Amino acid sequence: MPTVTIDGREVEVEVGTNLIEAAKKVGIQIPHYCYHPRLSIVGQCRMCLVKIEGPPKLQTACTTQVMKDGMVVHIDIPEVHKAQEGVMEFLLINHPLDCPICDQAGECGLQDYSFKHGQAFSRFVFEEKRTYPGRERIPLGPSVVLNMNRCIQCTRCIRFTEEISGTGELGFFERGARTEIGVFPGKELDNPLSANVVDICPVGALTSREFRFAERVWYLDKKPSICTGCDVGCNVTAEHRRGAIKRYKPRFNPEVNDYWMCDYGRGTFRRYEELERLGTPAIAENGEQRPATWNDAIDRVHQSISQAPESAELAFLGTGFLTTEEAFLIARLADAAASPHRGVASEEGPTRTIPNLHGGISGSETSPNRRGAELAGLVAGDGGLGAAELMQGDGASRCDFLLVADGDPGSPLHDSEVVARLRQARLLVVMGWASTPLTEVADVVLPTATHAEKDGTFVNCESRLQRFRAAFPSPAGVRPAVEALADLLGRLHPDWRGLSTAQVFDRMAADLPTLAGLTFEELPAHGVELQAPAAVVGGGTPPAEDAHP
Amino acid sequence: MAFEPVLLRNVGKPGVRQVAGYREAGGYKGLEKALGMEPDAVIEEVKASGLRGRGGAGFPAGLKWSFIPKGNDKPKYLVCNADESEPGTFKDRILMEQDPQQLIEGCAICCWAVSANTCYIYIRGEYVEQAEILEEAIRDAYANGILGDDVMGSGFKLDMYVHRGAGAYICGEETGMLESLEGRRGQPRIKPPFPAVVGAFGCPTVINNVETLCNVPHILERGADWYKSIGTDERNTGPKLYCVSGHVEKPGTYEFPIGVTMNQLIDTCGGMWRGAKLKAFIPGGASAAILPAKHADLPLDFDQLAKAGSMLGSAAVIVMDENTDIVRAVHRLAKFFNHESCGQCTPCREGTNWSELVLKKILAGKGNPGDAELILRICRNMGGTTLCALADAAVGPLRSLVQNFPEEIAAWIDNGGAGAEPRRYFAEEVLV
Repeated sequence: MPTVTIDGREVEVEVGTNLIEAAKKVGIQIPHYCYHPRLSIVGQCRMCLVKIEGPPKLQTACTTQVMKDGMVVHIDIPEVHKAQEGVMEFLLINHPLDCPICDQAGECGLQDYSFKHGQAFSRFVFEEKRTYPGRERIPLGPSVVLNMNRCIQCTRCIRFTEEISGTGELGFFERGARTEIGVFPGKELDNPLSANVVDICPVGALTSREFRFAERVWYLDKKPSICTGCDVGCNVTAEHRRGAIKRYKPRFNPEVNDYWMCDYGRGTFRRYEELERLGTPAIAENGEQRPATWNDAIDRVHQSISQAPESAELAFLGTGFLTTEEAFLIARLADAAASPHRGVASEEGPTRTIPNLHGGISGSETSPNRRGAELAGLVAGDGGLGAAELMQGDGASRCDFLLVADGDPGSPLHDSEVVARLRQARLLVVMGWASTPLTEVADVVLPTATHAEKDGTFVNCESRLQRFRAAFPSPAGVRPAVEALADLLGRLHPDWRGLSTAQVFDRMAADLPTLAGLTFEELPAHGVELQAPAAVVGGGTPPAEDAHP
Repeated sequence: MAFEPVLLRNVGKPGVRQVAGYREAGGYKGLEKALGMEPDAVIEEVKASGLRGRGGAGFPAGLKWSFIPKGNDKPKYLVCNADESEPGTFKDRILMEQDPQQLIEGCAICCWAVSANTCYIYIRGEYVEQAEILEEAIRDAYANGILGDDVMGSGFKLDMYVHRGAGAYICGEETGMLESLEGRRGQPRIKPPFPAVVGAFGCPTVINNVETLCNVPHILERGADWYKSIGTDERNTGPKLYCVSGHVEKPGTYEFPIGVTMNQLIDTCGGMWRGAKLKAFIPGGASAAILPAKHADLPLDFDQLAKAGSMLGSAAVIVMDENTDIVRAVHRLAKFFNHESCGQCTPCREGTNWSELVLKKILAGKGNPGDAELILRICRNMGGTTLCALADAAVGPLRSLVQNFPEEIAAWIDNGGAGAEPRRYFAEEVLV
């Protein structure tokens, strides 16, 4: 591999690596706007001009590839600083500088580079900047709004629709200083990935219709999380203010969602706003639910299990929204009750495909973790009732006890016929975060944390185990399911009492050969691909050969 | 010894647009000779002639041809640049409308030399008549076995197409032209790779100007030594068309050995218009720096003009007399570049726009003392920082305004135009 010297630091890179990526390796950021690692290189913004020993003129780092040994690059020299200043000045003269009312402020490439590479005064002394009257707030499609005045013509959005989404709705129109971006006549920026153009837009030209004016970005707490929209398991950043999620943004994971996520997934946090939250445990007496303490509610469940006669049928139904650890605890409960009746409710939904360098990844289930829940042991034993028998058949009517855990809205558990069937169990215990048709008819209701409020792991459609962390704590009165389940299980077997998610995972890893050698705290950032037996964990949709151009 | 026109020798001759008439006038001997030679020998001959590209950059034509990779399975292309859009340039137009067979012959020789079986002539959209003449000439060449499956009985296959542009200066830039030819938005590509390796449709491509290719038949027919004997020195050889416009009595396209002086051109053009004095001239089209009258004795060739800080470019010589307001003339040029910038590179998109605004402000009597310096700084940030040479072209006249004519800009800034001498007319009314 050739070696290149960047500002005196030598770095060895693969043949063909461009200078922006090479510099990253030694911790040097070369400023750029139009360059994006997954988009074709156009060398248009001219922000990445650097001095290469040899050619008389400055060269763009994005278009310069390291092909052989001996290239010497200078970035931190006056000549390059002047060029960067010059480009910044050109970009800013016609930029509206309306940062106080711009959604991008705080995460804006122009702002950041102005501080770093710009100058504090303007020599542009004309009364009027270039504007595009009537094009200040044009909806390009259902997810994206364009303000042409702020555009710096980097064409990232155009190339995204051409090269990543493959839909080609956007183009350059006009020429020179009047150049503008827009949708082609008769088209709309309406594709499953459209909102990614908002993320890659370095300025406030493209903003999200969902997030516009929802929050100033510097008030947002940003925590790594995983999308629950389907079983792809896109890595996301959950951005919230005081426990209210304002948006999801994709978080880079080359093995899963790369830099992208779908528009559907971005909107999934809305369920936390739309549905009524369960605040306190409840116990039904004579058909009427009354608030109860956690201790009483857990006791009630504990007694039902521990005092059940030998002949009683106890069933445990989870969903694909459970974390693997929660599912594992429920499976342990079922073990304690010596019950073979267990299953995971899940449902096929539309196929959602995210492009990545491995040909794309497609998921078609509506919940993120059916595979993990099954791996953890929520699979019916010999002669046991599974999810299908409980939900579609008359399995529940044979049950003395049925625990249903964590069904998100949209889950098949809330279909009125399913609710009626499940209700036939003599005692119905429901854990979940939202008030749903099922919690309304339950005998015991246990309010638990949303996925943004808990730690855990999911196993995605390609059997990749990924960890996520709580973005913020649960509201008062609500407990993470792991805590509640450990409490319950602890009353049966004291050594389970008070276990954290990480401890539960580590016990699970000791139990399951598939997870052998893994520990919660040391799971790799990009997840682990599990070598799972196909019978337990589905293989996922094989990636299409040429799904990614 | 009087100079015998070479490129324009057939101008006005009846029937030369047809193959028969062109042959009668001595044509197609160069192609015949070339087809009897090895392609490499043709390239060597053109190299030896010292022919440099006539489109503006002056790159040696033979060298360019030799960059076409050999032993490459991909088809090769010749694209003839007939997008003559540099303001003040009207030489290719004469060549195409007066002697289209000469161009076809030149293209055919080039195609033979680089083993290209397809040639596109990319002609600017406004040249409607010339495009029709070319198409007619190409039809006649097909009918007479000059083009088609068996060029002049040699077994060499050559197809030629006329492709009309849609009106953009930037499509005269070679990679912008390729984009346009392929049906995309005309904007220059990143180089490298150069068109000789990855050109039209991803294949090796030679791009030459009309005038360059029109020189080729004569080099083959009469030899590189004869060709080299014309011109100022061995780096500046051959006949050259000069497009003279502006304040001369008889503007037009004139053929001279390369390296004629401004004074000689003015004499040939019947002197300055209404006998006025020469103030300045642009030697090579809108992109070239404006030179003051003191350079009128400079040989107009590639190297001498470069030394003087300007360039031969397309040899579009724009003559400005003493009544010309240079600031207004440069403003008009800045307006042109602002209009024609493709918009992809930041410095060009914003710099051409800004520089026009500064000049407009100065001309509105609102100039500031720092404006000359500001223009230079815009030039510094624009020049050499972009994908293609359009920004450098825009810098040419701007920088020369400040450096060669500081008193003109100072007069506008100091007196808001009020104290400037009364002007009978302005360059922008003369430039078409």
